[in-house]
Amino acid sequence: MGLGDTHTKSDPRHLRSNAAPLATHPLSVSEGSVRNRSHLVGVISTLIRTDFKVRYHGTVGGFVWALLKPVSMFLVLLGVFSFIFVPTDPNYKLSLVLGVFLWEFFAEGTKVGLVSLFAKGYLVKKTRFPRWIVVVTSTANSVITLLVFTTAILLYLAWGGRFPSSSRLLLFIVYEIEMWMVVLGFSLSMSVLYPRYRDLNHLWDAISQAGFFVAPIVYPIQILPEGLQPYLYLWPPTPVIEFAKRVLIQGTTPTLEANLLLLVATLSILAVGIVVFQRHVSRAAEHL
Amino acid sequence: MAEPPVIEARDIVKSFRIPSVRRETVREHVLGFFRPPPIETLQVLRQVSLEVHRGETIGIMGRNGSGKSTLLKILCGIYEADSGSVVVHAPVTPILELGVGWNPELNAADNVILLATIMGMTLREARGSIEEILDFAGLEKFANLELRYFSSGMTARLAYSVAFKVVRDVLILDEIFAVGDAGFKARCEERYRSLSAAGYTVILVSHDPTTISSFCDRALLLEGGRVVMNDTAKNVAKTYLSVSSHAAEDGAFG
Repeated sequence: MGLGDTHTKSDPRHLRSNAAPLATHPLSVSEGSVRNRSHLVGVISTLIRTDFKVRYHGTVGGFVWALLKPVSMFLVLLGVFSFIFVPTDPNYKLSLVLGVFLWEFFAEGTKVGLVSLFAKGYLVKKTRFPRWIVVVTSTANSVITLLVFTTAILLYLAWGGRFPSSSRLLLFIVYEIEMWMVVLGFSLSMSVLYPRYRDLNHLWDAISQAGFFVAPIVYPIQILPEGLQPYLYLWPPTPVIEFAKRVLIQGTTPTLEANLLLLVATLSILAVGIVVFQRHVSRAAEHL
Repeated sequence: MAEPPVIEARDIVKSFRIPSVRRETVREHVLGFFRPPPIETLQVLRQVSLEVHRGETIGIMGRNGSGKSTLLKILCGIYEADSGSVVVHAPVTPILELGVGWNPELNAADNVILLATIMGMTLREARGSIEEILDFAGLEKFANLELRYFSSGMTARLAYSVAFKVVRDVLILDEIFAVGDAGFKARCEERYRSLSAAGYTVILVSHDPTTISSFCDRALLLEGGRVVMNDTAKNVAKTYLSVSSHAAEDGAFG
């Protein structure tokens, strides 16, 4: 509990009879046992480190082993589109690689984020600290994997003499951050609902599986009828993946309006996630 | 001007809605949308008010189901009250239901770092305290053993050791001294008395009248979710003993 911290749900009768208590701030730094910002950084790094230990047995070998899943998926797709369906577009394989890795980041990040509060129930039921830390740190492993992938693909592009200009590289990094915001938005909202609806993870798996084919990963969005294309952009990973392909592989830049629209959309998803999280997190421990 | 209470709880009300059939999935909610199950409301706390001042040691007694654990969870901010308010002016270190929140997949040293950091220590302080904490619990040989191999007594001893080391202002203990051998209990008592003498605030829940009357200045007696007595620890312990004896007799002969 931070100094002067108040956790209150006041009924109107109470407000009339007492001095109005401070409002609850579930996302406040001063909440729970967290002392200040540097201590907050310590808590976050400890949670990331322990997650890494549990997941990869604390070894780099374990981390490399975990990379096998996206790599194997990439190899299968590459095999299929190299030997069975040979595409005419020379950029196709690179687009596929980029799409698969960005998709893996989204799918893995939301999958882990969804169960994060439940998985950390042993802490949530016994200690008081800002709960959002659990959700945010749960996506750390996916972020590390994405960073590894980003480095690899940039090295590959540099090797082939196709390294993007600094403005397009910057835009690509912005798109990755926007994808992280989408992941956080979905994770925050679903993490507080999962303790109440224990099959939400299965439902999300099904949505994700369908979503993989809605997003333009294995096919270029241009092959679809023009009237249908805008609807695909309603699925949040679609614009991020499409824009990332344009700046990194096709060498074109989406318009300023399109970029601003994407920014507003990702901020909105994150905002909805925060609102849902704040609304339900105070009762989460009761359902764990 | 008198110092404000460290913890000030006013008119706390808490109930749990317990459906006759528990629905925990989206599928069950959708399929049963037009057939809502009968819901029973279990009133756990009714207008509970409590003030704890800095340096005070206060005991909470009550029979099983009287609302002690729920009250502690609300004071710690883990549960939210239906109405009323809780104002806490100091950091709280809780041990609830003999535990602090271990990850069974991590070893003892990593769990100590995780818990100590979350409870308020810096990473450097947490790392520097591992040996002392494990020594206090008598578990120094098991620093690298995953907690899933620990007995319930070993994990409880480790929990008390962490909390006693990490405590910053207010210590909330649920059933203290309920675990461990005589040596560990003696170490706990000694540490507890030194914390109390140093001016730490302690809230202690126990079924043991001797523990409450020996370690607390004041105590509350909870019955049916209400505070029925707020008096010296000795008087409350005596009343609790008498209430429990009557209840046992009623249970035996009624």
